[in-house]
Amino acid sequence: MKSQAFIAEISRTEIGAGSQKRALKFMLVLTISLVLLGIFIQALIVADVRPLDLITSPHGPADFLRRASPPDFSHFSQMLWPTLETVDIALVGTVAGIVMALPLAILGARNVTPALPLYYLARGIIAYCRSVPDLVWALLFVTAVGLGPFPGVCGIAMHSIGMLGRLFSEVIEDMDMGPVEALTLTGASRLQVFTHAVVPSVAPSLLGIGLYRFDENLRSSLVLGFVGAGGLGFQLLTAMSLFQYRTVSLLLIITFVLVMSAERISAALRRRVL
Amino acid sequence: MLEVTNLSKRYPTGRVALRRANLKVEAGEFVIVLGSNGSGKSTLLRCVARLIDPTEGAVRVADHDMTRLRGRDLRQARTALAMISQHGNLVKRRSVLANVACGALGRIGGWRSRFGLLPADELEAAHHYLAEVSLQDLWAQRASTLSGGQAQRCAIARALAQKPKVLLADEPVASLDPEAAEEIMRLLRRLASQDKLAVICVLHQPELAFRYADRVIGIKDGSIEFDLPAADAQRLDISTLYTQRAA
Repeated sequence: MKSQAFIAEISRTEIGAGSQKRALKFMLVLTISLVLLGIFIQALIVADVRPLDLITSPHGPADFLRRASPPDFSHFSQMLWPTLETVDIALVGTVAGIVMALPLAILGARNVTPALPLYYLARGIIAYCRSVPDLVWALLFVTAVGLGPFPGVCGIAMHSIGMLGRLFSEVIEDMDMGPVEALTLTGASRLQVFTHAVVPSVAPSLLGIGLYRFDENLRSSLVLGFVGAGGLGFQLLTAMSLFQYRTVSLLLIITFVLVMSAERISAALRRRVL
Repeated sequence: MLEVTNLSKRYPTGRVALRRANLKVEAGEFVIVLGSNGSGKSTLLRCVARLIDPTEGAVRVADHDMTRLRGRDLRQARTALAMISQHGNLVKRRSVLANVACGALGRIGGWRSRFGLLPADELEAAHHYLAEVSLQDLWAQRASTLSGGQAQRCAIARALAQKPKVLLADEPVASLDPEAAEEIMRLLRRLASQDKLAVICVLHQPELAFRYADRVIGIKDGSIEFDLPAADAQRLDISTLYTQRAA
């Protein structure tokens, strides 16, 4: 109501429809900005954001940093095995995810699916695997198969099915169907058409997506240790609860090196296959 | 070799794309189909190849009624019928040679070909088909590196690897420059005259049609308007084919 009155006033003082339109637009932008600001302020309140605590708290980051340096490299050799474990959890989880995502992606791609009910079933499974985070999957598997790296592998595999299945089926759906049609017309069987036209066309993209997934899964597998799935995450949790902050900083350095090199390597490999 | 009788196609939308088409093509004959966009000429080819199912009528290819077959029998019958289209439709990431050898898939059984492998003798034979379209030097390249005209010739070599009796060509020169277009037309002409294939080619260029074809067929609104030897067709007023149906 108020804004209408305001606009009415502007249109009286200034002449012409153009300026009235400009005023309306200005009011609209102002309203939207105020609403967005309001949303952000409530988020700050709900999230209990107190930036000053970062400095004033007695055991704050400053204290933490002092106690965490220098990094304790005497534990380095002890950390080699958990590091390998972390990499291997990601590796096995990714490969298992790819192996299981592939058939689901084929069923869940509209252009190659053998039957529509299978399409919906596959898409449903893929969506479900994706909606449960890998950490939650790992937690479930810790209950199911006990502590250790294996529940981590299972958790990563399950979440990867969801992420890879969707991307794989999108790649297959975006494929050029010309070669498929051409080979069908040569009298080739469905399976022959699939292996000779579909597979060579999509294989490099799928490999690239798989490599990218490995990169992401390595980062997840670091966190999975927190729920008892072994690897560097478990070491990190232990060191934190024993207040061994110098070990924590060693672990963070290892994590940094690991993640950066995985990113570089997978990017380099992707450039080669695409 | 190819006999089409009373072939009709009505799409689910209700549009009738083809009305009771009749035509016959003998071995060694080069027939060119002319018509405006949406006249039904592509529908005709696609019905013959059973890429779409005709509403009624029969298509006989080398004594098989294509419209009645399904599954394995249809695949078998299809080997007698090769098709090339406007774009080469090659598998871009495979080599030129592998693309050509894929034409033989309909004849090759066995688990090896099901796993994406191609038999050595077919790869050997593919060199020969590439030589027929003068691409023998490019056999090792990826198909994605070929130019438009080269890709189309590679597609023709793949069609030859199929050892067909009938060759369908759906606007094979539509995306080529004039020189490459002439080359493809000469090639199709030779396949009809020398290799005794029955060639049916849908085209948009009447002048090419009159120069290369034995017979020219005109289609308008789904019906065959004329079916004449090239020399006689040339004397017709072709422009009526391209006037709007509403006019």
